Amino acid sequence: MVELGAGLTSLFFLLVALALVPVLVLSGGTLVVPLIVRPLRWWALLARERSERYRGRPISSAYRPIPDSATYGELMRLAFSRSTGRDLVWLVGDAVIAPLVSLLTIALPLAAVNALLVPAYWYLAPANDPIASPFPVTSWAAAAWSPLVALGYALAAWWLVPGVASVLTRAQAAMLTPGRNEVLAERVTALTASRAAALDAHAAELRRIERDLHDGAQNRLVSVVMMLGIAERSLETNPQSALPQLRRAREAATDALAGLRTTVHDICPPILQELGLEGALSSVAGRSAVPCSLHAEGLHRVPSAVESASYFIVAEAVTNLNKHSEATQATISLETDASEPAQRLLIVVEDNGHGGATERPGGGIAGIRRRAEAFEGTLEVTSPVDGPTRMRVELPCGW
Amino acid sequence: MRVVIAEDDALLREGLALLLRSEGFDVVAAVDNADDFLTLLDDTDAAVLDVRMPPTFTNEGLKAAETARQRRPGFPVLVLSAYVEDRYAAQLLAEGAGGLGYLLKERVGKVTEFTDALRRVAEGGTVMDPEVISQLLSRRRADDPIRTLTPREHEVLGLMAEGLDNDTIAARLVVTETAVSKHIGKIFMKLGLSTSDSGHRRVLAVLAYLRT
Repeated sequence: MVELGAGLTSLFFLLVALALVPVLVLSGGTLVVPLIVRPLRWWALLARERSERYRGRPISSAYRPIPDSATYGELMRLAFSRSTGRDLVWLVGDAVIAPLVSLLTIALPLAAVNALLVPAYWYLAPANDPIASPFPVTSWAAAAWSPLVALGYALAAWWLVPGVASVLTRAQAAMLTPGRNEVLAERVTALTASRAAALDAHAAELRRIERDLHDGAQNRLVSVVMMLGIAERSLETNPQSALPQLRRAREAATDALAGLRTTVHDICPPILQELGLEGALSSVAGRSAVPCSLHAEGLHRVPSAVESASYFIVAEAVTNLNKHSEATQATISLETDASEPAQRLLIVVEDNGHGGATERPGGGIAGIRRRAEAFEGTLEVTSPVDGPTRMRVELPCGW
Repeated sequence: MRVVIAEDDALLREGLALLLRSEGFDVVAAVDNADDFLTLLDDTDAAVLDVRMPPTFTNEGLKAAETARQRRPGFPVLVLSAYVEDRYAAQLLAEGAGGLGYLLKERVGKVTEFTDALRRVAEGGTVMDPEVISQLLSRRRADDPIRTLTPREHEVLGLMAEGLDNDTIAARLVVTETAVSKHIGKIFMKLGLSTSDSGHRRVLAVLAYLRT
């Protein structure tokens, strides 16, 4: 039934698309993507979801992302890409074959019901145009056979309908499944983007370290040199005043050391190496002013780069919620999903604060997103006004 | 001499003010950004500026120096920087007119040299950090005439580029002033520079030569 509806909708879309052809040609093709490719993708994705529900196996789509402001060349490449072609072929197939086959599957049970009812109404039909389903019923004797016919129809339906449905979805799945090359191409695109994100994260990290060193240790050491210079002059002119200046020099040197310690710690947190991810995170939770509970038992080993990223993500999230949320309770939970093929580390940080967290360039959430995307991970933040705030990060770690 | 300090690091700002006051300068104000300095421009004789200040922490100090000197041509500015960049030096010197200095921050540790530098700048002289000069000197091609200089001449060239006058160079190298003049004459001849220039113009000529 669903496929009949879907097939008819496909037919409708196909007709609309055909009707639009002159417009598309006249517009030089620029409208192809907004008018055809987007709805086509949407419709094909729905079909993929239906198929996934029926067969329990997902169909990947291998779509190249549509850029927000694409150039003409990009639009054309999208319009004539393999994925668009495949979706179109499927659309034609779906519009023509699916309704026919679906009609058959609906007709069989209906015929069975009809045959069952024939004994009740055959005598109402005019004698010169008897009910012929499938043989002319002109007597009670003939009508008596009718329930047997109904049984036949029912058997046929019982046997055929699931088979047809399965063949139909299998055919549909085959038509919608991208080729191996396309899957690889999609993977390359994703990898290129994640590599670029990793490089950006790296560059941002370097800038941050440079800023930290410049504002921290470097300035403090200049102060040390300056105070020592002043003390030196004082010793020549007024030795009594040299002592406080020497003290200030020592304090500045101590500050410089503290600054260096923080910077070095941030580059590669030693606590992570000592205590592992769970231990390091419980120390983050322990340092938080907002009471923070941690659930990270039974984590599988993840690559150390992912550990480091998740440590900073959680630390940043906890800093954020301490700074902005006014929460009274927060939860950090981590779990690893080792099921094949995609091993993932899932991080959820929640608080009961006043919500309304937004992502600003250079802000904490943007930093978390950068770190997550560097590993092809994802970040979702839900933070309605009045809270609660929930941040969910998924980091793939089995690649 | 009335001086304004613009430095965003609180400890350094106070330290600089303390240092200059104890050396007899009249520190009119010590501010933490370039805009505040520019509002004080008319009440002061010279400025000590940090290169990196809010809001962007890139080259606010250099921009402020340029703005100040557009409003008051020749206004003496001593720029302090955490690291030296000969591009910054060139940017500062581009409009000429003297009264400019560019030093690494840690030079403040040698108090007398630092205050000397500030006085020289206030009097319209030019002060270049030795680090800038050595960066420029080390980036020379193999066939460069600078390679024909004797080590002593090389030294004199560096000090000249830092903005020192002949007296000071003589004192630094513990030689007579006539000896310095002789060295300078030879250097100018070897590099093909005009000997008539003096003071800021001389520094410019030397730096321009070094930058080519």
